[in-house]
Amino acid sequence: MHPYVRPNQFLAFKLPSEQTRIQKIVPNTEIFLGKYGSFPANQIIGRPFYLTYEIHETPGDANSKYLRIVTAAELHAESLITDGENDGDDLELNEDGTPVRTNRETVDDRSTQKLTLEEIEALKKESSGAGRAIIAKLLESHQALDQKTAFSLAKYKLRKERKYMKRFTVMPLDVSLLTNYMLEDREAAKTLELRDELIGLIGCWGNVHHGGSSSFEETIAARPNGRYLVVDDTGGLVVAAMAERMGMLYPHDGDDEEEQDAAEPEVPEGEERNEEEEPITNAAGRVHRRQMSAQGNTITLLHANKQPNLNLLKYFGYEQDNISETHPLYTNLKTVSFLQLLDPNADTIYAQEPPVVPDAELATYKSSKRSSYHRKRGRWMRTRRVVDEARTGGFDGLIIASMMDPGSILKHAIPLLSGSAPVVIYSPTVEPLTEVTDLYSTARKNAWMTRRRELEEQAEQESEDPEEISRKVTAQLVEEFYVDPTTLLSPTLQTSRVRVWQVLPGRTHPLMSGRGGAEGYIFHGIRVIPRAVNIEAAGDPARKRRRLAKQPEFETPTETPAASGDVEMTS
Amino acid sequence: MPSPFLTPGSHSSLDQLALLHLRRDHAIPTVLCLHDEDNAGYKEGKVTTTRFGSFPHSTLTDQPWGSQIGASKVDTGSRRGRGPQKKNHKLKRKAEELDSATTTTPGDGDAPQAAVAASSGFLHLVYPTPELWTTSLPHRTQVVYTPDYSYILHRLRARPGTTIIEAGAGSGSFTHASVRAVFNGYPSDPSASNNTKKRRLGKVCSFEFHEQRAAKVRQEITEHGLDGLVEVTHRDVYRDGFLLQQPKTGPSPKANAIFLDLPAPWLALKHLVRHPADGSESPLDPSSPVYLCTFSPCLEQVQRTISTLRQMSWLSISMVEVNHHRIEVRRERTGLEYERIRGAVVFPKDVDEAVVRMRQVEDHSRKYRELMLKMDDDETTPIPPSLAKKTGPEDKDLAASDIPTYKQGRLVHRSEQDLKTHTSYLVFAVLPRDWTEEDERKCREKWAPHQVDVVSNEKPKGKRQLKREKKQAEEQQEGQKEETADAAAENA
Repeated sequence: MHPYVRPNQFLAFKLPSEQTRIQKIVPNTEIFLGKYGSFPANQIIGRPFYLTYEIHETPGDANSKYLRIVTAAELHAESLITDGENDGDDLELNEDGTPVRTNRETVDDRSTQKLTLEEIEALKKESSGAGRAIIAKLLESHQALDQKTAFSLAKYKLRKERKYMKRFTVMPLDVSLLTNYMLEDREAAKTLELRDELIGLIGCWGNVHHGGSSSFEETIAARPNGRYLVVDDTGGLVVAAMAERMGMLYPHDGDDEEEQDAAEPEVPEGEERNEEEEPITNAAGRVHRRQMSAQGNTITLLHANKQPNLNLLKYFGYEQDNISETHPLYTNLKTVSFLQLLDPNADTIYAQEPPVVPDAELATYKSSKRSSYHRKRGRWMRTRRVVDEARTGGFDGLIIASMMDPGSILKHAIPLLSGSAPVVIYSPTVEPLTEVTDLYSTARKNAWMTRRRELEEQAEQESEDPEEISRKVTAQLVEEFYVDPTTLLSPTLQTSRVRVWQVLPGRTHPLMSGRGGAEGYIFHGIRVIPRAVNIEAAGDPARKRRRLAKQPEFETPTETPAASGDVEMTS
Repeated sequence: MPSPFLTPGSHSSLDQLALLHLRRDHAIPTVLCLHDEDNAGYKEGKVTTTRFGSFPHSTLTDQPWGSQIGASKVDTGSRRGRGPQKKNHKLKRKAEELDSATTTTPGDGDAPQAAVAASSGFLHLVYPTPELWTTSLPHRTQVVYTPDYSYILHRLRARPGTTIIEAGAGSGSFTHASVRAVFNGYPSDPSASNNTKKRRLGKVCSFEFHEQRAAKVRQEITEHGLDGLVEVTHRDVYRDGFLLQQPKTGPSPKANAIFLDLPAPWLALKHLVRHPADGSESPLDPSSPVYLCTFSPCLEQVQRTISTLRQMSWLSISMVEVNHHRIEVRRERTGLEYERIRGAVVFPKDVDEAVVRMRQVEDHSRKYRELMLKMDDDETTPIPPSLAKKTGPEDKDLAASDIPTYKQGRLVHRSEQDLKTHTSYLVFAVLPRDWTEEDERKCREKWAPHQVDVVSNEKPKGKRQLKREKKQAEEQQEGQKEETADAAAENA
């Protein structure tokens, strides 16, 4: 939650032009908002979010700058007045029922505005009322103002306000805002054009949530909950969205709503970087935090390059090069490359253990050499632990938003999931996902089961070792089918989009324009564990008989639960 | 008891809700139980009967989640005293009727018999999620579906540790989704109380004015292990507001987020203010902004709601609707070679095939005409068998069968048949924290309003800082050397 603006936090300014600007709030600095002016950061630190301010200053006096909170009544003034006047229906009508003012006589040129550009510029320099004076002047000197309909007058005023009002709104920087910012104000391609509504869907279908506190879990089940596997090529946006849902995105998550009057949370002592493994409890009983050491409620990121790209996490206080040890993600975000996952011994960091130096010898080292020794040992141990843990599997969910072929990821990632774990794939375009859906089609499931039976019978004649049989059969099946279609239940493809409306008294309609580009699609399925032995599906025999009677020439090799599903992707 | 929705563990266990997944959008929720006092009948204990066979709970309990479970041979007939009957007779009943989880169990004492595997039929045992629950829950009112609630909860900033008010619990679909969103530990968790830092636990405060529905939701919450995380109150919120337990005097839920699924949300808004007119405590969290969403199907409701929100100083008011559709993926097989294959379109797949086919037809009719001419000459000649036989697609059949059926044709996608074109309009708004002159004065004392330091470029400073930190770390490591070495030795 966002009780107040904290120093050195990133936040967002919503400008009158509807643009968003993201800025880090450093105490004792000036904040520049382009043509909307500038103000000292100290005037918003400690203040609540969602307030709208106006920048006031006496021209020429830098120390006279102050921010005035614009009240809600003021922000809504226009609609409240219209509301009060005539309950929404604000078309003024003549006696014959035609509107008093129409745009029939409007002259579409600039001659109606009597203020020249120079005069406006001069006004901007002098005026003090946060731009209000300019707008009043502009309206005053507009020749044809009385000809305007209520709608066009409102529009005209809004346009001028956007241009001249020195206003801004302070917004907390969260995943929702960042998503819209990347989509509207920045390069949408960097986040794979991921939309806010789809982030919500990914989180829900992925069943991403806080895993509970681990101490309690240990008494219930040996397995920690809330371990998620992620492939994220959106620069960290998907990881951020998941971390937000898991309650570990914000550095102050968990240390609760202490009021700012209370002492600032002290920086825990004894947290200096010490890369040796195994938590060491110091005299005060505090457990040292080790990077990537958390058990439950963790995200394991699979990445395609040597280093993952988690650029966007910097807005949430997680700097990739210099990770703050107090950030929850320091312990709960683990990174594993695909090479480490599939062939760990080919990875230098994993495979080459730095030689252990005896303590006596270590004592003779210079301190810089000693710390580099500890760092290397620590990195190796951490990599070993994290990679081995990932390869063991048992994850509670898989979320993919990748530029790579999703089928190739599923092939390696699905075996790492525990049963009933959800699989969610996001793609900006539908084609990669239709291919994945097809990989898990009912027709394929049936073919896989039939083929497996065939191959097993074949292999049994050649060999008696059950292990060899199953190995042979699996190899042959994977070659033919690429992935095991029976491991994913009810693959579903969907898309969602919100439509924004303008709701004003008498002027309610959907917004006229929006962002095109990628629609964005979500694939979802549930990991299941098929029986080692084939089970025949049972259908409703009455229905089956009916169908067979109608189409005697057609026979499915095995009947499926979705008795009617031949080409439908149901299961 | 941990909730299977939040911390399902690795295996299904007794007295927990489990979902028996039959096919997409069709899962039967059932509480696993060996004996049940409800009804007598089965020798195997509690049994759930589906259209894909019967499943004694003994075969469902203590299985890894996600397992494929085979059906068992269960005598479903004799328990009603109608004498032994074949299973097939039972299956003649309407499938829907069968799937409605007719769970019955033996009465007193008898230990349940071991289940015998049936020859066919299976289902998948999965742990419940709000999404699956939404599609399988017993409908009492209109349900808020996944596309809507996922977006609502995201926009409401419902995160672990949040307290959310839900008015109009209805069928409980939103309740389950929101408790997952705010969950960050069970209230009974001993580690939370040991923790010196007070950690706020996420909670859902659900209000429902229909007494039976409220009772039903309460019962479900208990069955699903969500007690303490969800507090259901039977209340008319228009009149009595949102304080817990007692209308005017009860404790405040201190909500950070509010979801109103009510016919007239504007009537409830008067209670959702920082300083209620009647002097009672505000149900809102005084230390954070409060996010609100209302869910109304009609535009008129939206207009009234927004008008009231403006009067009550809510900010960032926006209204959206969610358009969601599912996409069906199939292989479309068009071509003359697909004759006799179900679901395929027998039609030339391209111009070439059409031309070839027409040539064949032309050829055939020319020969036929020639033949007829001949026949006029010689009336006794029968039609030669080679011509009588249709120009079949045998040769092409061979070509088509090289590709397995699941790869034939072209992959296409389209919207699913049943489309929800409108669910409801969603109105969002934010109420910032209260900010008084006094607060502002304190802030000004702490942060000098006009102080602007001339800061040097940040980057070189950052590097220096890094070095300094490193040095400090080394010095401290010296001090801790022994301790570290010991630990390393233990490690090795």
